[in-house]
Amino acid sequence: MTELVIQNLYKRYGEVEVLKDINLTVKTGEFTVFVGPSGCGKSTLLRMICGLDEVSSGEIAIDGELMNAVPPSKRGIAMVFQSYALYPHMSVAQNMGYALRLAGESKELIAERVTRASEILKIDDYLDRKPRQLSGGQRQRVAIGRAIVREPKIFLFDEPLSNLDAALRVDMRMEFARLKDRLGTTMIYVTHDQVEAMTLADKIVVMRDGRIEQVGSPLDLYHHPENRFVAGFIGSPKMNFLPVTGGDGARLRLPGGSVAAPRIGKPFEIGVRPEHMEITDGAENTLTGNVLTSEHLGSDTFAYVQIEGVERPAMVRLDGERQITHGEDVSIGFADSAVHYFGSDGLTISQAQVPAAA
Amino acid sequence: MPTDLSQAADARTFRPSPHAKRGGLRAGQGRFGVMLLLPALIAFSLIVLSPFVQALGLSLYKYTISTPEPIFVGLANFKKLLADPTVRGSFVTTAVYVFFTTFFSITLGLAWAIILNEPFKGRNALRGISLLPWIMPATVSAFIFGWIFNSRYGVLNAVAMEFGFIEHPQAWLSTTSGAMTAIVMVKVWLSIPLFMSFFLAGLASMDREQIEAARVDGAGNYNVLKDHILPHLRPVILVVVVLGMIGNLQQFDSIYALTGGGPVRATSVLSVEVYRRAFEQWDIGMAATIGVLWVATILPPAYFYLRQLMKGAE
Ligand SMILES: Nc1ncnc2c1ncn2[C@@H]1O[C@H](COP(=O)(O)OP(=O)(O)O)[C@@H](O)[C@H]1O
Ligand SMILES: [Mg+2]
Repeated sequence: MTELVIQNLYKRYGEVEVLKDINLTVKTGEFTVFVGPSGCGKSTLLRMICGLDEVSSGEIAIDGELMNAVPPSKRGIAMVFQSYALYPHMSVAQNMGYALRLAGESKELIAERVTRASEILKIDDYLDRKPRQLSGGQRQRVAIGRAIVREPKIFLFDEPLSNLDAALRVDMRMEFARLKDRLGTTMIYVTHDQVEAMTLADKIVVMRDGRIEQVGSPLDLYHHPENRFVAGFIGSPKMNFLPVTGGDGARLRLPGGSVAAPRIGKPFEIGVRPEHMEITDGAENTLTGNVLTSEHLGSDTFAYVQIEGVERPAMVRLDGERQITHGEDVSIGFADSAVHYFGSDGLTISQAQVPAAA
Repeated sequence: MPTDLSQAADARTFRPSPHAKRGGLRAGQGRFGVMLLLPALIAFSLIVLSPFVQALGLSLYKYTISTPEPIFVGLANFKKLLADPTVRGSFVTTAVYVFFTTFFSITLGLAWAIILNEPFKGRNALRGISLLPWIMPATVSAFIFGWIFNSRYGVLNAVAMEFGFIEHPQAWLSTTSGAMTAIVMVKVWLSIPLFMSFFLAGLASMDREQIEAARVDGAGNYNVLKDHILPHLRPVILVVVVLGMIGNLQQFDSIYALTGGGPVRATSVLSVEVYRRAFEQWDIGMAATIGVLWVATILPPAYFYLRQLMKGAE
């Protein structure tokens, strides 16, 4: 039973407010990912949870106990740093056993746990090496091993994959998923990469400028973003946004076409994901534009369509075999259900809970 | 493999580029290096090497105020010296002095560096002030300490009497241990800035996340120091120990200014002994002999220091 609760948390460095009114609950065994652009305060929040820095105000509690003044080593957490922060003068085995040694555990217990963790992570062949004799991926494993050995209640990971090359990153991402199933421990994982967040998380916490924008499951965020920022941040390739230029009761006028008006609200902007668009005439909504260029990835074809009056060309995801002629005028079609509506305040105009009071 | 062979048969020849350097890419760099070194080599020969060779020569002669011309005596000076209890005493005094100065300079320099490495208000100002002993001439420092230890109006006497540790003013510098303590203190005070700077530079390259990771692992201040800071500073400590030993073996001005080697011979380290023999007793041959032995004691630490430097340069 390891529940982490954060209440009304603020962090200021002098005049600068880095975290603003953070409220969050992480349940036992949950894999929670903090995601957001660089500098939005993810690491700072993780450091508060870890206890490396003091909070300016607010509460952090683990299992109902207030943690604000508890030192990191007494919080039952383990942290994997972005730089790995391995101890360069110690061997891999000493690195992994260090916390247990400090806690005064017996040599046998340390050896046993180090062996077990190194087997899980497939680093048992390197136990006598120094960190500098290891590759980036191996160092990463040692850093994770050092955390596992302590058998913490909560794991904290700060951008653990950002120092690895692309291929290794995909492999390690899979390992994280495996580790999560195997250990079943509560994990908090920080990344700026929304793909990592989508693939690993039970629960995603989207952050921007020191605030939490939305909390939810990956599909929740994908289908029901609460605001324009989350809609644009989650999903790859990014959602296409189009300004609303006018309209009557039933239809909204857009550059290059129109779209069904929502049942309530006054939309300022609409969004449609590339994968929900087609190049076709026969759809509920159509927009006309001119094909600027296309990308053939084999599995997919991405067409960039310039719509008059919109700065960014709209991206449409098509079948991998589809051939597109550049410079051709085309119609982009999409269903009513694919449309996200946003008000002038950037908030989603939700169609799920239509007028009870109105 | 056949494909490889056919490729080899196809190998083309290229014409040389008109921009190619005749002796290869690095041609001329060696000569340039020697040219850069030349002024230093000339200065070294004139100022260091030639007096040393002269001293080496003089150590084989009897050359005192009563001998108008130096008389060649072979190794007689060395024989006489090794049998001379005052010279052996000088070696012991030097060893005591070098040990305590090096030990305290390093521990206090390290402690001060660790304090000044923590972020706090006014840190930079304090760092600046800490360099003061380094900038001041050693004789001025000795003068200040002379005033502190003075038997009549000294600061130490005033403070100690104020707190009731002593009843009457003490002549600190006139006891063997008091004089030694004083010259060690001066040298430690003089050395701290340099050693602190070495350690601060070493601490600056320390990975902050490593220490944070150790804290999460449960390390307190003691373990952070022992398991992380000291291992990280190991190469620096090695260099500083050797550098400190060399500097302390050579120390002269602050000792001579404070105690003149006294009381009697209590603080007569080798440098002072050489000075006394040469310029008080005018026994140049003996002074040179002591000098040669003295250099011989400096050579091993100097060798280690240079080796460490070379290792760093690789
Ligand atoms: N010690 C500090 N002093 C002042 N500002 C800081 C400090 N640490 C972080 N910040 C600021 O807080 C913001 C959030 O930083 P961080 O949590 O590292 O972002 P992220 O991990 O999301 O990229 C940044 O704008 C950064 O400049
Ligand atoms: Mg960060």
